[in-house]
Amino acid sequence: MGKIKKLLPGGIWFLDPPKDISLDGYRIDKVIQYTDFVITLYFAIVVIALVFFIWRYNSRKNPKASYDHGNQKKHLIMTVAMGLLVFFSIDVVIETMSFKDLKEAFWNFPKGKDVVRIEVMPQQYAWNFRYAGEDELFGTDDDIVPSQNIMHIPVNTPIVIQLTTYDVIHSFYLPNFRIKQDATPGMVTAMWFQAMETGQYEIACAELCGNSHFKMKGYLTVESEEDFDSWLGSLEPEGTKDELDDWGAEEVEGVPEFWAWAWKELK
Amino acid sequence: MHSESFWRKDIFSTDHKTIGKQFLFFGIFFLLFGGFQAMLLRWQLAYPGQPVPWWLMGFLYEGTGGIIDPDGFNRLFTMHGTIMIFWAITPILIGAFGNFLIPLQIGARDMAFPTLNMISFWTFFLSGVVLLLSHFLPAGSASGGWTSYPPLSLPGGGIPGLGQAFWTLSVTLMGAATMMGAINYIITVIRLRAPGMTYWRMPLSVWGLWLTSILNAIFVPVIAAGLIMLLLDQLLGTQFFVAGRLAAGGGGDPLLFQHVFWIFGHPEVYILILPVWGIVSDLLAIYSRKPAFGYKVTSICMSTIVVLSSIVWGHHMYTTGMSPLLGKAFMFLTLLISIPSSIFFFNWLGTLWRGSLHFDPPMLYTMSVIWVFGLGGLTGLYNATVTSDIYLHDTMFVVGHFHYTLAASVLFGGFAAIAHWFPRMFGRMLNPLMSKIHFWGTFITLNLVFFNMMVVGYAGQHRRIYNPSEYEFLQPLADMNVFITYAALVLGLFQILYLFNFVWSLVKGKVAETNPWRATTLEWTMDYPIPHGNFGEIPQVYHGPHEYSNPNTDQDWAPQTVEIKSS
Repeated sequence: MGKIKKLLPGGIWFLDPPKDISLDGYRIDKVIQYTDFVITLYFAIVVIALVFFIWRYNSRKNPKASYDHGNQKKHLIMTVAMGLLVFFSIDVVIETMSFKDLKEAFWNFPKGKDVVRIEVMPQQYAWNFRYAGEDELFGTDDDIVPSQNIMHIPVNTPIVIQLTTYDVIHSFYLPNFRIKQDATPGMVTAMWFQAMETGQYEIACAELCGNSHFKMKGYLTVESEEDFDSWLGSLEPEGTKDELDDWGAEEVEGVPEFWAWAWKELK
Repeated sequence: MHSESFWRKDIFSTDHKTIGKQFLFFGIFFLLFGGFQAMLLRWQLAYPGQPVPWWLMGFLYEGTGGIIDPDGFNRLFTMHGTIMIFWAITPILIGAFGNFLIPLQIGARDMAFPTLNMISFWTFFLSGVVLLLSHFLPAGSASGGWTSYPPLSLPGGGIPGLGQAFWTLSVTLMGAATMMGAINYIITVIRLRAPGMTYWRMPLSVWGLWLTSILNAIFVPVIAAGLIMLLLDQLLGTQFFVAGRLAAGGGGDPLLFQHVFWIFGHPEVYILILPVWGIVSDLLAIYSRKPAFGYKVTSICMSTIVVLSSIVWGHHMYTTGMSPLLGKAFMFLTLLISIPSSIFFFNWLGTLWRGSLHFDPPMLYTMSVIWVFGLGGLTGLYNATVTSDIYLHDTMFVVGHFHYTLAASVLFGGFAAIAHWFPRMFGRMLNPLMSKIHFWGTFITLNLVFFNMMVVGYAGQHRRIYNPSEYEFLQPLADMNVFITYAALVLGLFQILYLFNFVWSLVKGKVAETNPWRATTLEWTMDYPIPHGNFGEIPQVYHGPHEYSNPNTDQDWAPQTVEIKSS
């Protein structure tokens, strides 16, 4: 696939999307750009045909229509060929691109030592994050839980997150990474991503979750490995804190089930 | 002819034509209601937290100092979506034109079950009353979105009062009315076609309405079952869709509701658009004075889409964490739809090709469907593709896309149908000048609104947010959001002109001749007003619905009741 030159900022959509700072976001941008290109082409053909027909076949210029049911074999072959052309030039291409990206990136979860694992538990209307701590196990005394809505990740490191929630459905949306993943009560979902640039970015909730859905905002800091380690080190482990501080009494009831779950191994 | 009382003739009528008109007025009322809500939504998105001006009925928000609060905003988009889909598009396209056209175009005296038809309308009416009443509940109407996903839509989800339960009840009642209508339409088409009116001689409008009814009959029961379970969860404390902290004991599964909702919800998209496809296919032929190009292929394509539409619902759920295998399967099946869609789309262009195009208002509206449905269909590709949907799901891009396919295509199809059949329904012509002004005003502003919704969505703005300025990455979109709002307000103004035109033409419009568009189908064969029972004698049908410019006829059209003798 050749590079498609953008004529306007944001291509046919005029406005640029948020800056992509992720390892794999370019894949999504590429599928979108290819789709932009082909749909512009096909739509242009339709519009040109429409304009031509209006000019050439209006009743003043063409008072007598031709009597043609378009039901001969050649017509059938022509329209079916057009349908197949659309299917192979658009659908098959984007499907191939998309499947490849899913296989190579979005559904290809990284394994091994260098991966940072984070449990994310949104609630109405805030984000809770949990890091495993030294022992790399969740639900232990050395787990680290930063203040609500604060997430830090190291740059150039694969981040795997697992999500669930205990109230209503939320969706973890990282515009600068081009991804989102729903958090649904009763099930644990997962996604992974990797940042390529340090900086401050925003996390939004993309699934309607109630009247303050619009300000359910998180703050993501992407920093160097050292900065990340020192930030994590500066936080008090969960076990030494009074949980009620963060939670309020009634939430504590549900803790083992909806929060600090044992990491689900991915197949 | 026996005389009927006012109540039997105009209110509890069993005449399909009267019921069709009742659905039309009912749908137009809700179209205005839902449209007004859209204006308020746009106001808030352009000027978050600023008082609603008097000309947008700011007094409605007196209690909150003229400001729409977050709860109010959520109620607005919930009700806007629900009303437009179930109480505006459904009654206008399916209720009004399904009722009016099916018996007339197939040569029947009425629907197969006229009393059921009457009950269907009044059940529909009741459902609308329940929905409207929910606006006056002390804690307000539903605010969980038109999808009403649990657990948000359940007690404990954070939405106070009975709004959600009223929502569920009213949509369930609406579903019951729709099922009655669907059964009636299906049986009517199968059993009551006039002699000679074979399936392959039915107008494509009837094909579209018939296929829609088949989808309704199969899938409305699915959502009805889901809604009844939701209602039990809401009112009796069952836990079909509850999990997490709100679940006592085992609980249920919130995701199950999404599956049930979209098993219905995706066919629903086609339920709404199929009548338009049929009507557009017919009107293009009439106003091009040329037979519909590839009639059989078009109806086979529409039937194929009916089948495919029932197995693609998962593309609404790519981000729920479904298994990769399912995601791929749903993507593949969804993309298959583009084959039959592009085939009949090319057939539309084929009808225009070498025709003799008459740009009467119905034709303008019809041709604009080619434009808006083209854009709507093509932009669906981004959402059918798993990876691009991961980014675009739940953004304004999706909102713009489905407004093109549903709002724009269905509205223009509806405007076309109203303009075309107005003389048959009311004996007068819709004023052509006002119609043309309305057409151009609507066409331009509507594109400015819906296209730019996709633009801000591509730039990252997610849906259903009360105040986009909360986020830094959405700051650059503020101007565009203001622009969309002004375009939407102008769009709204043109609809006031439309309403004026409708009412004015009803009273003072030019009295129509029997067949002003020189159309071939059966509904144009009798004088206005069409009597109860429609046909003096059931007509004999000799050929298909699009005999235009046949060289063996003297004029450029041959009614279906006239035999064409080849020379």
